[in-house]
Amino acid sequence: MKHTLDTVTAWLARGVIAFLYIPIVVVVVLSFNDSEVTYKWAGFSTRWYGELSRNTELLAALRVSAETALISATLATLCGLLAAMGMARLRSRGKAVFSGGLFLPLIVPEIVLGVALLSVFGAMSADLGTQTLVLGHLVVTLPYAALIVLGAYNALDPALEEAATDLGCNAWQAFRRVTLPLLRQPLLAAWLLSFTISFGNIVMSTFTNGVGSTTLPLRVYSMLKGGLTPEINALGTILVLFTLLIILGVGLRQMRRVLLGAGRS
Amino acid sequence: MRVRSVSRGVLTVAVATVTALVATGCGGSESSSGGGGKKLNVYAWAGEIPDTVVKKFEQETGIDVTLDTFDSNETMTAKLSSGSAGYDLVEPSQYSVQQLVGQKLIQPLDHSRIKGLDNIADKFRDPSYDPGNKYSVPWIWGTTGFAYNKKCIPSATSWKTLFDEKHKGKVYMLDNMLAAYIAGLQVTGSRATSTDEGEIKDATEALTDQKKMLAGYNSTNYPQLLSSGQACAAQAWSGTAMAKVVAANPDVEYVLPEEGGSLWTDGLAIPQGAKNTDAAYQFINFLLRPEIAAMATDDGGSASANAKAREFVKDKKALENPAVYAPDAAVAKADFLLDPGAAMKHFQQGWTKVKAS
Repeated sequence: MKHTLDTVTAWLARGVIAFLYIPIVVVVVLSFNDSEVTYKWAGFSTRWYGELSRNTELLAALRVSAETALISATLATLCGLLAAMGMARLRSRGKAVFSGGLFLPLIVPEIVLGVALLSVFGAMSADLGTQTLVLGHLVVTLPYAALIVLGAYNALDPALEEAATDLGCNAWQAFRRVTLPLLRQPLLAAWLLSFTISFGNIVMSTFTNGVGSTTLPLRVYSMLKGGLTPEINALGTILVLFTLLIILGVGLRQMRRVLLGAGRS
Repeated sequence: MRVRSVSRGVLTVAVATVTALVATGCGGSESSSGGGGKKLNVYAWAGEIPDTVVKKFEQETGIDVTLDTFDSNETMTAKLSSGSAGYDLVEPSQYSVQQLVGQKLIQPLDHSRIKGLDNIADKFRDPSYDPGNKYSVPWIWGTTGFAYNKKCIPSATSWKTLFDEKHKGKVYMLDNMLAAYIAGLQVTGSRATSTDEGEIKDATEALTDQKKMLAGYNSTNYPQLLSSGQACAAQAWSGTAMAKVVAANPDVEYVLPEEGGSLWTDGLAIPQGAKNTDAAYQFINFLLRPEIAAMATDDGGSASANAKAREFVKDKKALENPAVYAPDAAVAKADFLLDPGAAMKHFQQGWTKVKAS
C-alpha cells in the first residue's frame, strides 16, 4: 500500500515538474527555430538572436524593466527593513494597525491600486514616467519584502545587539556589525522576490507607466494583437539563462560557505 | 534607543529617495510647449509605426521620437484621461476617435499645417466617425472578417460558417465584445453599426447559442491554430499576424463575409495639452508621404490608408493578400464600426450574459 502511494506521489511530483518546466524548454527550443511561425520546425538557426539585437523597442523595454525592478526592489527592501525595525518598537495595538496598513496592498486588487495611483498622479500633475512607475511597483512589492524581513527580524535575539552595545558599539555599529550580517540572507531573499514581482508586473505598470517607460511585459502584451515574433523566444531564453546563472551563483556561494564551515570544525 | 537612531538613518535614505522620485515626476516635463522642441512622444499600436519609419524621421528632422505602445484603445484613453500622459501624438481606432472627441481628450487638427491629406484613399476621407477628418488622420486600416482552413471547410463566405454545429469545437471567436457583436448582429440580419436594443438582444441570443459549439474566444494565436489545423474557422482581424499565416499557408483563407464584416482604421490624433505640436504636425506630414506610408506595409505588414502608397509598396504579394488589403468589392459593403454611445450598456449586459452562459 505504502509502495503504491510512494509511486503515485513520485509520478505526481514528476507531472508537476513537467508542467512547470516544459513551457520553458519549449521557449528555449523555439528560439532556435528558423521558421517565422512558432508551430512549425524549419531547422536550427540563431537568426532570432540577431533579430533581437536589432529590435530596439524590445531591448529598450527590457532596459526599462530591469531599471525599474532594480530601483523598486532596492527601495522595497529598504522600506521593508525600516518597517520591521519600526514595528519592533510599537505596542500591540499600534502594531496591528501598522501591519494592516502595510499589508493592505496584498488584499486590495491590483487594478484598484493602479486606478487609484493614476488618479493621485493626475491630481498632483505628476508626469507619468519612470518615477511614477517605480512608485507604483513599490506599492506592489513592499508588502512582500516587508513580510520576509519582518519574519527574520522578529526571530533575531535582541540580546546579541545588547551584547554589542555593552562591548562598546554605538547603535549604528551594533546594527551594521551584528544585525545586518544576520539579516543578509532574508534581505537578499526579499530583494530577489521584489525584483521578480516588479520585473513581471503588468497591471500596475499599465496605469503608472508613461513616456519612455514601457516595460517588457507591457511591450510583449501590446504585441499580441499583431502577433508575437520569435524574437520573444530568444529574449525568453536569455532571461532563463540569466536566472539560471543567478541561481547557480547563489548555490555555489552557499556550498562554499558550507564547505568552509566544515573545514573549520 | 538602538532601533530609534538606526531607523532614523534608514528612514532618511528611504524618504529622500521616494521624495526625489515624486519631485522629479511633478511639475511638467522639459519638452518645449507649442512645438519647436526636438522631442516627440508618440503612443501607438505595436508594430503599426515601424521602427524604420521612426529612425528615418529622426534622421531627417533631428527630432528625438519616443514611441510607446498600448494593447487596447481603452488603455490609451485611461492614460489620456489622467491628464498626465505627456504624449504629443496618439493612434486611436475609429470608434475611439469618437470617444476621445466626446471626452475632449484630443484637439481639432489645423488642416493648414497638414500636407498630403489628399493622398488618403476616398474611403477614409470624411469618414462617418470623424467628418471632415477634423480630429484624426487615417494611417492604417483593416477589416474584421473570418478565416478558415480549406482542408476542413472547402469554401466559406458567410458568418453562418462560425455558427454551424458541423464545426463544433473547431471554431474560435475574437475575445472582444464589439468584434463578436459584428458577427452576432450581421448573422441575425442587422447592421454592424446597429444600436437598437432589440437587435442587440437578438445578436446576444445568437452569440449565446453559438458559445456551446465554440472551441473558445481567442484574440492572440488564432492564426496559428488555423494554420496547424487545430481550428477550422475563426473570426479574425486582418493585419500582420493573419497576413503572415495566409501568405505562408495556401490552405488558410481570409474573407470579409457576404454580410459585410466591418472596417477599422487606426489614425493619428493630437491630445489636448500636447507640448510638442510642431513636431507632431511634422510627423503627420512625414507619414502622409506615399513612400513613407508604403513602409507600413513593407515593414509593418499593415494596409496603408494612403492611396498613393500602393505604388511604392515593394512587397507586391501583400497588395494581393486579402488579410492585408481586402478586395475593393468586399470593402465597399463593409461599415466602419462606430462608438455605440448610450447603447454600450446593452452590449455590455449582453456580453456578460454570453460569457456567463
